[in-house]
Amino acid sequence: MTIIEKIFSRAAGKDVKPGEYVWAKLNLVAMRDFGGPNVIQEYEEHYGTRPVFDAQRVAVTFDLHIPARNEKVAENQKTLRGFVHRQGARLFDVNTGVGQHILLESGLVHPGDIVVGTDSHMNLLGAVGAAGFGMGTTDVAGAMYKGKLWFEVPRTIRINVTGTFRDFVGAKDLILHIVNRLTTSGTLNRAVEFTGEVVDRLKIWERITVASMVTEMSGDVGFIVPDEGIIDFIESRAGQPVQRIAPDPDAGYEKEYEFDVDDLNPQIACPHSPDNVRDVAELAGTPVDQVFIGSCTNGRLEDLESAADLLKGRRIKDGVRMIIVPATMEVARAAVRSGIHEIFLASGGVVTNPGCALCTTGHPGILAPGETMISTSNRNFVGKLGKGANVYLASPAVAAATAIAGEITDPRSI
Amino acid sequence: MIVKGRVWRFGDDIDTDQIYPGKYLPLTDKSEMARHAMEGTDRGGEFMRGIKAGDIIVAGKNFGCGSSREHAPVAIKGVGISVVIARSFARIFHRNCVNMGLPILLFDDPDRLADGDLIEVDVATGVIVNTTRGEKLTAQTLSALELDIMKAGGLFAYLKDVD
Repeated sequence: MTIIEKIFSRAAGKDVKPGEYVWAKLNLVAMRDFGGPNVIQEYEEHYGTRPVFDAQRVAVTFDLHIPARNEKVAENQKTLRGFVHRQGARLFDVNTGVGQHILLESGLVHPGDIVVGTDSHMNLLGAVGAAGFGMGTTDVAGAMYKGKLWFEVPRTIRINVTGTFRDFVGAKDLILHIVNRLTTSGTLNRAVEFTGEVVDRLKIWERITVASMVTEMSGDVGFIVPDEGIIDFIESRAGQPVQRIAPDPDAGYEKEYEFDVDDLNPQIACPHSPDNVRDVAELAGTPVDQVFIGSCTNGRLEDLESAADLLKGRRIKDGVRMIIVPATMEVARAAVRSGIHEIFLASGGVVTNPGCALCTTGHPGILAPGETMISTSNRNFVGKLGKGANVYLASPAVAAATAIAGEITDPRSI
Repeated sequence: MIVKGRVWRFGDDIDTDQIYPGKYLPLTDKSEMARHAMEGTDRGGEFMRGIKAGDIIVAGKNFGCGSSREHAPVAIKGVGISVVIARSFARIFHRNCVNMGLPILLFDDPDRLADGDLIEVDVATGVIVNTTRGEKLTAQTLSALELDIMKAGGLFAYLKDVD
């Protein structure tokens, strides 16, 4: 069995096969300030004041419009706080950060778990071998009441990666390269397993980057088998031993792809699709108005450090705005302690409070028509960050190098 | 269940930002959401002016990709679309449609259905009759479980009978 087949077999209480429809028990149900209020509306319309299936397994995370940016959002957040209070569920308020990262840091997600939530990047939990599924409001409301949902067991695609990264090339360049080859529908409705020596060496922050962008290939979830480092991280956060998960040696894969990173250069996705990827060097010299470093894909401390390494002792180009957003408060505080927060401020950057930030037009820093931004996030669909704007996607190192030069720049040339 | 309406053609990879732009996410009233259906596509204005109850969306691959917003199918259903036919659907969008009882069909050859064609669709059998062109086509239906959820009227109604 593949990882997803094992997870669904455990959760359904029987051996399952790809293509089969099953009812699966859920380990955690999450919602956020986006989608969450609609979930509560549906829940209370259908279930009134009846208790959720397990209050300790229901979490509300505020990560999109935080702190509330207008009256409607404030009202939505009040609705969520009221529900949490009445139900005794878990609340992570405006002072915490990106939901999935908070659930990981809090030890609430374990290898082999099934987690559903109102976030299409819930699947980044595959970084620790958990099956995270983004769901709509009806699913999440039903899940909160029943503690189970229907699923089609997906087929699995295996992506094996060999070689050694060059300097300034890493997880983001790898996943952009993969999205480019497989396209935005390349793993449609499939699970993915990333394997090989390169993947084995990735740390949790890099695994998050890779797993998060399975969404951009329309995949359900992308797994990396948890190694001892991941298990130690989860156990230290959970305060208890956790189960391990790995595919069987004879697991059946629908397709297998091979990638080698020996010759991989820094990569960049051009407007307006995450699979429109080229070498950064080909775009060198393209002027930018704004740089964003953060998001659920590249908002960990090590992501910020790789940007700070380049920005230390330098100023960003006059006329360029640089917005830096740590994924969580834990990351933000570590950035203050280590001095990289000061590096960002001294270089001319704006550091805002932890959260999802520039993923939608809901966050401060959106673009005017005709403006160009380079972002470390995961999507650059038309209009997502402002009508008529152009968004490029790249690693934190490429973003920082670009901020310094004021134009798209390969960090190796700084 | 047989529905009848005119075809509105869209291309590949129509994401949920095009179906329902992110700036309207704070809305919670379904009739307000319906006023913004397909607004972010290149024919948003034309769609909202011309849409009639019962009309049918026909699209290419990966319809509904992008964010998990259920506002997208809510808006499409609310504006009167009777069925969405596409070469393939994004998973979350697909689930949302089943869960709210908005019929969808997988169809390999959407180019057989042109913009403005009048068609009749049997959601349970997948048979599509293109009245304009005098053609009979067959699409792939949903699984038995999904059709049961739709028949029950959506996920909430169906869950009442699940242990």
